[in-house]
Amino acid sequence: MHKYLKKTLVISVFILTAIALYENFLLVPEYTGLRTGVSDYIISSGLSDTGSLNLITAVLYDYRAFDSLGESTVIFGAVSGIVLILSRKMLPVSSRGLSFIVKRTFGLVTPFIALFSLYVITHGHLSPGGGFQGGVILAVISIIFSIVYGSAFDYRRYSPQVKTAMETMGAFTFLGLGVVGILMEGFFLKNLGFLTARTGTLISAGSIPYVNFGVGIKVGAGLAIIFYSMIQKTFKEDF
Amino acid sequence: MMETRIILLIIVPLGTAFIIPFIDLINAKLRRFFVLLGISIQIFNLTSIVVQYFDQIRDGSLFLQYHLGGWQPPFGINLVMDNLSFLFIAIVTLSLLFIIIYSIGYVGHHEGKFYVLYFIIIAASNGAMLTGDLFNMYVFIELLTIASGALIAFQRSHPGSEAAIKYLFYNIIAGSLIFFGVLLTYFNLGTLTMADVANNFAALESGIQLFITAIFLTALLIKMGVFPFLFWLPKSYDSSPAPVTAVLSGVLSKIYLYLFIRLIWTVIGFETIVALNLNILLIDIALFSSFLGHVFALQANNIKRLLGYSSIGHIGMIFAVIMLNTEAGFYGGILHIIAHMFMKAGLFVACGYLLQYTVSNHYRDFKGVGLRDKPVFIAFIILLLSMIGMPPLLGFASKWFILMAFLEAQSYFGAFIVIFGSLTAVIYYLRYIAKGFEEVRLSEDDLKMEVFNQPLLSVLYREKIVTFITYAYTAVIIIFGFGFRFLNIPLRMSIESIMNVERYIELVLGG
Repeated sequence: MHKYLKKTLVISVFILTAIALYENFLLVPEYTGLRTGVSDYIISSGLSDTGSLNLITAVLYDYRAFDSLGESTVIFGAVSGIVLILSRKMLPVSSRGLSFIVKRTFGLVTPFIALFSLYVITHGHLSPGGGFQGGVILAVISIIFSIVYGSAFDYRRYSPQVKTAMETMGAFTFLGLGVVGILMEGFFLKNLGFLTARTGTLISAGSIPYVNFGVGIKVGAGLAIIFYSMIQKTFKEDF
Repeated sequence: MMETRIILLIIVPLGTAFIIPFIDLINAKLRRFFVLLGISIQIFNLTSIVVQYFDQIRDGSLFLQYHLGGWQPPFGINLVMDNLSFLFIAIVTLSLLFIIIYSIGYVGHHEGKFYVLYFIIIAASNGAMLTGDLFNMYVFIELLTIASGALIAFQRSHPGSEAAIKYLFYNIIAGSLIFFGVLLTYFNLGTLTMADVANNFAALESGIQLFITAIFLTALLIKMGVFPFLFWLPKSYDSSPAPVTAVLSGVLSKIYLYLFIRLIWTVIGFETIVALNLNILLIDIALFSSFLGHVFALQANNIKRLLGYSSIGHIGMIFAVIMLNTEAGFYGGILHIIAHMFMKAGLFVACGYLLQYTVSNHYRDFKGVGLRDKPVFIAFIILLLSMIGMPPLLGFASKWFILMAFLEAQSYFGAFIVIFGSLTAVIYYLRYIAKGFEEVRLSEDDLKMEVFNQPLLSVLYREKIVTFITYAYTAVIIIFGFGFRFLNIPLRMSIESIMNVERYIELVLGG
């Protein structure tokens, strides 16, 4: 009886909140049209300003590159926090992994996944994708390794130290390119003029591909570190 | 005026945060030097800005800008340092300097990630105060939330993790509300630059104005811990280690107060708030929150939790006095922000030293704490007296100006809350002072308890640094208590830059 009462109460609170929210959203006036000054400017002259065919990348890594630096620092902070809370330097839980067939097949597929992630990272300024997306694919390799080959495999090959070094390197690439922007062009994170080339080629769009590369490594290593911190064993008395 | 050094205020701590894990791989003992190097570059940078623009700071015409990536304001991100943000950056940097020296003594050299997250907090707080762009502000708020949420669970204990999860729940909801508000602003105005939004906000329909304002206000009320959303605050203050609590209460809540001033006065405009009939409501909510904070503090049986409730009381009071929108209100409010920043951080820092051998933060374990370390306990008492508002200390001056501002605006409920807060504070602090001087007679069972219960933190790494920082906070409170007139010019100038929104808009969009 008590259980049902609690459930009804919870459900009724949810329904009431939903109704209240619905009523409030009805009060919002209708969309009256956007002042399109900024977006029009970016659509019309984004390509000539930045040399990036993908306008989203142009906004992310040139017009508003500082926000991307902040966002990648959010990931950096999250990685540091998770490592701070969870790490006790215990070896990961060992397991043998899956069957021989899966291991072989995955061994064949892995280089192509790595190639695809590299493609997504480096072609950020030409096609959909970029550092964040490619970095996630890079981290997936490390995660699948632990499922298919057992959790100790990846740990032994690429130790957490290597991953930390990679993450730091990625962060420094971003920050360093920003500082180079101050030294050469006068503004932090300004697109480097001497790196521009013919639009549409792989190495064009100033410093955008390099920033993408840094972010990709950083996100990939960071997410792998998060995964391996979470599957680590913790001492009983800690929690 | 374009100035490269204000971007260095953000990227130097960020670079230090990035380099620390790398240094850890090489040699963990080197880390201290990099920590000190980062913070001293930061101080040097700020000092050089003060020296170069001293005249402009004095006559209130300080206005430094930086366009990131070289893009003009409506297209790119811009950083702005006017007198208000200069004042806040100066006090926040001073406070963070004290706390990082304290944590070198408190945490020691075993925890590299602590310093990483701490430097991220430094960078994000400077960024949040400097930025002139709404989305950029959201990014830095998110950074502050993530870094401080991880630091709350620093002790890896059960209550610590619980408090961190609660903190993250509340604050991520607040963060997503801010994001939603930024989204709606962009949806309706097509721009993210604060000055540009401020220019066009009044022209919106009043329904959508109310919606955006309500979303931003809800988010900031959660972040500051004002009445309907205050329940995450005491718990997270209680179960985090002393330097983290000092950062949470001494720095983060003040940054959110700054962002509140920035959003309400510069971006949304106080006339809009008055037109939407929100100002009276907000003053009442804030004063009720202050009342609740002091009442809850009366029943708290835990020193850190008590200080958390008293923080709710003080922040509600500051919030209300700022919402009066008078010059006296801002004067008292900002002076009390400075006073409360140093008093509360100092109190938590002293708590971290005094409670190092006790079993818990509970009232009964406070017995005899004062006899163990008399000089530190006397500093602790001085800080408590400043919280109450004893005359020669800084707390008195700021409370006096707040009282005057309430009386001038004929808000007698507010004046009552100020007096009520001081009187209840006498009751709940005197209880602890008396308990601290009580003599301990250890029985056999107590001794067993003491031995078998794990203390909060067994041994401090460097005891002298820890006590030194406690004295430094007390010295700041006493010196500024006698010489609060020194703060007169920066306070007047920052009030001027709050009130003079047109100048802000013109200088950002025109320069």
